[in-house]
Amino acid sequence: MSAVTTADPASPAGSAGPLKHRRPLGDRGFQILALAAGLLVLVILVLIAVTTAQQSTSWFTSSGFKGIFSTNWDPTTNSYGAMAFVYGTVISSVIAIIIACPISIAVALLLTEVVPRRWAQPIVTVIDLLAVVPSVVWGLWGIIVFAPWIQNIYLHIASGLKGIPVLDTLFGGPNVEGACFFTTGIILAVMIMPIITSLSREVIATVPTIDKEGAYALGATRWEMIRGAVWPHSQGGVVSATLVGLGRAMGETIAAALVIGASATVTGHLFYPGYSIPSVIANQFGEAAGVMRSALIGLGLFLFAITIVVNLVARAVVERSARRMRGA
Amino acid sequence: MQLRRRQQAVTVGGAVVAMALGLAACSSSSSTPAAAGSTPAGSGSAPASTPASSAAAASGTINAAGSTFQLNFQQAAIAAFKSVDPSVTVNYAGVGSGTGRADLYKSTVLFAGSDSSIPSKEASEVPAGATVLYFPVQVGPIAIAYNLSGVKGLKLDAAVLAQIFQGQITSWNNSAIAALNPGVSLPSTSITLAVRSDSSGTTANFSQYLVDAAGSAWKLGTSSIVKWPSTARAGTGGSGLASIVKSTPGAIGYVDFSTATASGLTAATIKNSAGDWVAPSTASAAAAASQVTPASNLTFLAVDQPGAGSYPITYQSWDLVYAKQPNANDVALLKAYLGYLLSSTGQQLLTSLNLTPLPTSIDSAAVAQLSQITS
Amino acid sequence: MAVMPEPAAQLGPQTIDLREPAGWRRTKNRIMTVLMWVAFVLVLIPLGFVLYTVIEKGAGAISWQFLTSSTIPPNVLPLGTGGMGPAVIGTLEITGFAALIAVPLGVLGAVYISEYGGRNWLAKIISFMADVMTGVPSIVMGLFIYTVWVINYGYSGMAGSFALACLMLPIVIRSSYEMLRLVPNSLREGSYALGATKSRVTITVVLPAAVGGIVSGALLAVARAAGETAPLLFCILTVEATNTNLFSGPNTALSAQIFSNATSPYVGAQARAWGAALTLIAITFILMLVARILTARFTRYSR
Repeated sequence: MSAVTTADPASPAGSAGPLKHRRPLGDRGFQILALAAGLLVLVILVLIAVTTAQQSTSWFTSSGFKGIFSTNWDPTTNSYGAMAFVYGTVISSVIAIIIACPISIAVALLLTEVVPRRWAQPIVTVIDLLAVVPSVVWGLWGIIVFAPWIQNIYLHIASGLKGIPVLDTLFGGPNVEGACFFTTGIILAVMIMPIITSLSREVIATVPTIDKEGAYALGATRWEMIRGAVWPHSQGGVVSATLVGLGRAMGETIAAALVIGASATVTGHLFYPGYSIPSVIANQFGEAAGVMRSALIGLGLFLFAITIVVNLVARAVVERSARRMRGA
Repeated sequence: MQLRRRQQAVTVGGAVVAMALGLAACSSSSSTPAAAGSTPAGSGSAPASTPASSAAAASGTINAAGSTFQLNFQQAAIAAFKSVDPSVTVNYAGVGSGTGRADLYKSTVLFAGSDSSIPSKEASEVPAGATVLYFPVQVGPIAIAYNLSGVKGLKLDAAVLAQIFQGQITSWNNSAIAALNPGVSLPSTSITLAVRSDSSGTTANFSQYLVDAAGSAWKLGTSSIVKWPSTARAGTGGSGLASIVKSTPGAIGYVDFSTATASGLTAATIKNSAGDWVAPSTASAAAAASQVTPASNLTFLAVDQPGAGSYPITYQSWDLVYAKQPNANDVALLKAYLGYLLSSTGQQLLTSLNLTPLPTSIDSAAVAQLSQITS
Repeated sequence: MAVMPEPAAQLGPQTIDLREPAGWRRTKNRIMTVLMWVAFVLVLIPLGFVLYTVIEKGAGAISWQFLTSSTIPPNVLPLGTGGMGPAVIGTLEITGFAALIAVPLGVLGAVYISEYGGRNWLAKIISFMADVMTGVPSIVMGLFIYTVWVINYGYSGMAGSFALACLMLPIVIRSSYEMLRLVPNSLREGSYALGATKSRVTITVVLPAAVGGIVSGALLAVARAAGETAPLLFCILTVEATNTNLFSGPNTALSAQIFSNATSPYVGAQARAWGAALTLIAITFILMLVARILTARFTRYSR
């Protein structure tokens, strides 16, 4: 059974007969299978949303709107305010993206444009090695080795920036600790770097050679070629890769739990300890009961909502810039 | 054409077979738990086991979870129990008392380790009509570990501890500390608080002690998570806290005694309610535990006990079991294993772990309570 | 050569000026290339740091007995007795099963979005939600499976696999979609012109064209899943004995054991933790190498 009619010997070649289009069973089946797989994503997400919402109702009812949006998390007084954790999640993820994005794109460009084909494989192997380090090892290394080492550097920076208005708030302050927002951002950046690089690299590598050669033919240097020929083509894909990395950074649990310092405060000082949503769930769920348990699960739902908002915003930004590039 | 048709048939057939296999796998794994639904967690064969007494007759698996305070004891006991009864497999995971209790309410585990009795707000989660039996299994001291070179045998009492851990006393040469330690030269180092970032029974019982012994001076309440001053440094797990104390001069923190000893930390001597200065040890915790009068269901709080040699910051842990078990084999398994934990061989494992065996009276009461597990 | 040559009139028609562009443009090009290399070095630093730490602390624990022993000793015991055998088997089983679930489903989902979805609103929503799903914390996935499965059916390795598969699924979908999108349409159109059905085109032309990138994305997802701890803590009830039955009974995995042992104060447990970390890194790395070699041999369109 084919999708196109076989030539009917009775009618002369070139005569227009009705096209019979019967899709074979296997073809239909495959489409349904693919649709089902895609729907599975929605099903799982809806299930997650529904179960977490169910479990967190007692948090909503007992704390009320104000209680949830406060920064006071104190189980002894039954106050469960989420804002400190939202703040920590957003800040550490933003720091991670700011650090990881340029580095990942730079390495991706290195692999596709700069490095000769033969040397690309070892570099890819190095990136793979970065990807296989388990998150718990990053966390352990972070808290045992990295945080104490970098604390000295933070102290030097903090004392050097004393008195300078904005920088002092960001990087200064007496309570500087190795386990802080910034260290978490660094470690998250290292963890999300492989996936951003890998996705970006694949996207960048498929820019049509015609465009690249055209740029070279016009006398462009390599950098100018990248800016003019590669970037417009791969922009969308790279932003998409960054979003995947951002999602991973926001959802990272164990590494952040060990390194973020476990202090539920909202502060502009990046070298102070903080807290993030996955970290507090990981740390406090074991002994939690009743409303506290429901509050922790509710925090997960919160993060869900934040992820949706962040993705919407990023998509809108990509759409706007893509439209501008196409000339709307 | 025919080739393609055959290939399509193979594709569809393969997909159907794969789905069928998948469903079969799911249903077979759900049919065992369907049976497990009526026989929660203890997946044992159900041959008639000889009633009650002989431990050697039981066979099967016990799944348990709960307090991390019990974890070292459970691990040691599981390993030792293998030589007592090789046909019983025990699994215990240190997921935390809260999760352990939640697992018990849903009958996902056979017993739960918990550092505290079931709080009133959880009472509704216990299935209606089910009785939960408390089996105390161990007692142990919480050490106040500190890092001050050259200062040994630091003395602290509840009032000063409350002020330190609320951030009201910020340097070591504060007059309140000096008053308790005449003749000791205290440096002017600032105090760094080391606390737990994860929720823990140690935090709950330490804060309970401060509530009991420091009274209104302690404002932070008691819970497995306490809102410590924002300058406190938090570590994950007892060993995380211990490493903060170890690596920070001037640090002070609360950690269970076995972890403190294993990490090589110095512990402070605490004033108990009788006015004596007692250092944490297996013996002083035993002295505290011997003062305890448990309730009829064997619940008690071992903190702030009277008595000359009692260490005031002592705490305890229970294994919680349903009195009525659906499966007769589970009854035999529980009696065998819990009986081992409470036996003298089992309790002796505690001393090597720098924990404290139960006082004999409580132990015998617990052993007697074993007979209340029925099917 | 910093100065532009004489005006072109002086060069005959048979000479072509191949000299590099002068001045700032060339400098900028060089700066950018140096920056790219600097970025790569920045990546190497933490990697080297971590690998050095893991090897230094973990190499002493590795032995044949460590990798194959059938019980994990209690934390208090020093190195020497027992090992991480149960955890190795557990990791391989749990991650393998998770990959078995997530990779085909993820690729199929990506196929739907890219081949059958078009500008369909459903495809857009699925694509958007796949991105959202990468942001769900791994511990929330674990709690989700705990609430939905473990409470009803008990702890099992399979529950852990479900949680890991939920984590892997969006990554596989997203990376497969990007690869499928990059396959030139001319390939598809050529196949249609030859009379193939859509499923045949997808299976025999588009997927093989994208297989290199798809496998690469799948590998990254598997690597992540193998290293995840938080969801497993709620689904498998970390135990000390080998359980080869994935579908019933609690299990253990290297990532969970690393976490519980490393946070123990006893030296033996910590040594075992680092040994397990080294083992896990080695296993995942070997898997990635093997799979990359295989795809390199089978990729039709190499970059």
